[in-house]
Amino acid sequence: MLRPAAADAVAGVHEGQGRVSDEIDDALGAPAQFPLVHSPTRGRWLIAAVLLSLLIVIGFALTMPFARLSTGRSELLLPAYAAGIFLLELMTAVLLIALFNLRRSPALLLLSSGYLFSALLVPAWVLSFPGVFAPFGIELGLQFTAAIAAARRIGFPLFVLAYALAPRTAPLTLAPGRSIVAAVFLVMACVAFIMVVVFLNRPGLPSLMMDARNVGPLWHMVPAATLVLYGLAIVILLTRHRSQLDIWVALVVFSLTIELLLISYLGGGVRLSVGWWAGRTYGLLAASIVLMVLLVESIHVYGRLAQTVAAERRARRGQMTAVEALSASIAHEINQPLTSMITNANAGLRWLLKDEPRLDRAQAALRHIVEDGHRASSIVTGIRSMFTKGRQERTELEMNALVEAAVQAARSEALQEFIEVRDVFAPHLPTVVGNAAQLGHVMRNLIENAVDSVRSGRGWPRRVIIRTWVGEGDEVRVSVEDNGPGIAPEVADRLFDPFVTTKAGGMGMGLMFCRAVVEAHGGRLWATSEDGGAAFHFSLPSVMFAGHDQG
Amino acid sequence: MARSMVYVVDDDRYVLASVESLLASEGYEVATFSSPDGFMAGKRPDVPACLVLDVRLRGASGLEFQRELHRARIAIPIIFLTGHGDVPMSVAAMKAGAIEFLTKPFRDQDLLDAVRHGIELDRHRRSNEAQLVVLRQRYEAMTPREREILPLVVSGQMNKQIAFSLSLSEVTVKVHRAQIMQKMQARSLIELVRIADRLAADAARI
Repeated sequence: MLRPAAADAVAGVHEGQGRVSDEIDDALGAPAQFPLVHSPTRGRWLIAAVLLSLLIVIGFALTMPFARLSTGRSELLLPAYAAGIFLLELMTAVLLIALFNLRRSPALLLLSSGYLFSALLVPAWVLSFPGVFAPFGIELGLQFTAAIAAARRIGFPLFVLAYALAPRTAPLTLAPGRSIVAAVFLVMACVAFIMVVVFLNRPGLPSLMMDARNVGPLWHMVPAATLVLYGLAIVILLTRHRSQLDIWVALVVFSLTIELLLISYLGGGVRLSVGWWAGRTYGLLAASIVLMVLLVESIHVYGRLAQTVAAERRARRGQMTAVEALSASIAHEINQPLTSMITNANAGLRWLLKDEPRLDRAQAALRHIVEDGHRASSIVTGIRSMFTKGRQERTELEMNALVEAAVQAARSEALQEFIEVRDVFAPHLPTVVGNAAQLGHVMRNLIENAVDSVRSGRGWPRRVIIRTWVGEGDEVRVSVEDNGPGIAPEVADRLFDPFVTTKAGGMGMGLMFCRAVVEAHGGRLWATSEDGGAAFHFSLPSVMFAGHDQG
Repeated sequence: MARSMVYVVDDDRYVLASVESLLASEGYEVATFSSPDGFMAGKRPDVPACLVLDVRLRGASGLEFQRELHRARIAIPIIFLTGHGDVPMSVAAMKAGAIEFLTKPFRDQDLLDAVRHGIELDRHRRSNEAQLVVLRQRYEAMTPREREILPLVVSGQMNKQIAFSLSLSEVTVKVHRAQIMQKMQARSLIELVRIADRLAADAARI
C-alpha cells in the first residue's frame, strides 16, 4: 500500500529553502523577540527600575549633609570622568543607531542623536574647564565652559522630549542607512555650530560664572529651565509608557535630575564640592543605564537567535530524512511487485522446462505476473496523481458503493486471519463530490490500519466495523472501528504527523495522507480511542445540488 | 532426494506466492507464512529445512524474529530477503548467523543456490547432532574411573605414566584402557582422540 502523503513533505522542503534568513529576521524583528523597544515593562525589569530609582534617592539623601564641602584640587580627576562619560554616551548612541537600523523607529534615531550630541560636547567642556588643561596652554575663558555646559544640559532633555513624542513606527522617507548618515551629520553640524558661535563670541558671552568655582546669578536660569524640561520628559515618558526603553530613559532623566539638584542647588553651585562630585556620579550612572540595558538585551536576543537557528537546523535535518524516507518508501512499493514478477517469470520458465512440464503452474505464474504488473502500474499512477496538483478529477460519488468496494477488497484477506470486516450502511446517503481513487485509498488505508490493529490486539472475536451515516448538516460520515489495543496516549497527539507509526515496518505516511485527502475534500478526519479499541471517523460535505463535474 | 522443507515468511502475499512457485518448481516442499507468528504456531516436521525471511515485516522485523528464533533455540539456516541493500543491516544479519542476504528483486538462481546450501547445512548439522547424541551416550556409559583416564590417554601418556599419576597398577590401567576403547567403539588411538575432541568441542559449545 502506497503512502502518498509525502508529496507535501517534498513541497515543504522546497518552500523551506530561504527560511533560515527569515527566522533570523523574526528573531530580531518580532515584538516578542525584542521586548525592549516594543512591549511595556513588566515583571523583573520594572522591579529593577524601581529599585534603582530608590537607590538613587537614598544616595541623594546620604550626600545632602556634605554637599557643600570643598574637595580641594580634585579637578585633576575631571579628564578621567569626562573620558568615561564621553565613551559611555558614544557607545549608547552607536548601539541605539544599530537598533534603529533594525527597528526603523524614528524615536530611536532621535534618542541616539541626543546621546551623540551630549557626547560630542564633552571634549570641549573638559578641555576648557578652568585649571585642568592650563599647563598645556589651553585657556578659553570661564564663560566658554559654562556656555558649553548649558548647551549640553538643555540640549539632551530636548532630544529626550523629541524621543518621547516621536512616533514609534512611521514610514521613513529616507532609507535607514541614509537617515543615520543624515542624523549623525546634523548632530555634528549642530555641535560644531554651537562651539563656533560660543568660541567666536567669547568676549560677549553672558557672565554665567563669577570665578573658576562659583556660578553667577545668571547661571541659575539654566538648571531651572533644565529641571522643567526633565520633569516634562519624565511625565510624558511615564504616562505614555510605550516600551521598556521609556522606563529606562525616564530613569536616566531622573538621575540627571538628581545630578542637577546636587550640583546646582545642594552643592550651592560651587564646582568641585562634594555635592558637585556626587552629582557627577549620577551623571555617570545616567550615561550608563541605557547602555547596560541595551547590552543585556542584546545578549538575550543573541541567545534566542542561537536557539532559533539551532531549532531551524534540526527541522531541516528532519525534512531531509523525510525525503529520504519518502524515496525509500516509493522504492519499496515498486520493488515488491517487481520482485514478484521476476520471481514468477523465473518460476514459470522452470515449470515449462521441466521434464514433465506443468502447464497449470506456468499458467498461474503468468497470471500472477499480469496482476503484479497492474499492481505496479496502479502504484505509479498513484504517485503521479499525488504529484500533479489540481488535476484530480472529481465526480459525484455514492459513498456506500465506494466503501463497499474497499471492504470487499480487504475482507477475504482479513478472514484468513479470523478477522471479520463488517459493514453497516445508512440506507439513503446524500451524494458527495470527490476523487474516487483518492477516497478509495483513504478507505483502504483506514481498513488496513484497523485490521493491523486487531491483529496485534487480544480482543475476541476479532472484528472491524465500517459504518456510514448522515451527520449534521447532511454531511456524510464514515467510521472504521476496531477492537484492537486502541491508541496509546503518547501517540494520540501526533497521530496524523508524518513518520509517526506504531508498526515496526510502517512508514507512518498513511494517516497523514488520509487526513490531507479528506481535508482537500472539505471534510475532517479524526480518531477516538476507548478501552475496547480505536475508531477513525471522517466526514465529507454532501452536495445540495447534484450538478456537473467540478474537475 | 531426501525430504526437506523450505519455510517462507513475507507479509506481501504476491511475493510469497511467487517464491513458493519458484521453489516448488525445483521440487522443494514449501510452507508459506505471512507473519513470524504463523511460522512459530505451525507444525515443523523433523526434516532438514531452511527459512526464507523478509527483513521488513509488519509486527516484528525479520532481524528481531531471527533473535527470537535464536532464543527459542530453533537452529534453522536463514536466508534474508530485503527491499534495499542496507549494508549495516545485512552485516548484522550475517553476524547473527544468516547464510545469505538477497536484495529484491533477486536472481532466481541465487535464491535456489542459497536454499540448497541452507538445506545442506541443516542436514549436516542434523547428522552431526545425531552422531553427537550417540557419542554422548557412549561417554555416559563409562565408569567415573574410565572418564578420568580418558583425557590422559588421548593426551598421549603411556600406561606407565597414567598408572603413576593415578597411583594404580599398570595392569589396571591397561584393563581400563581396553574398556574405554570398547565402550567408545574406537578402533585405534587416533579414532579415540577424534571422538574425544568432538565431545570436548561440544561441551565447550554448551
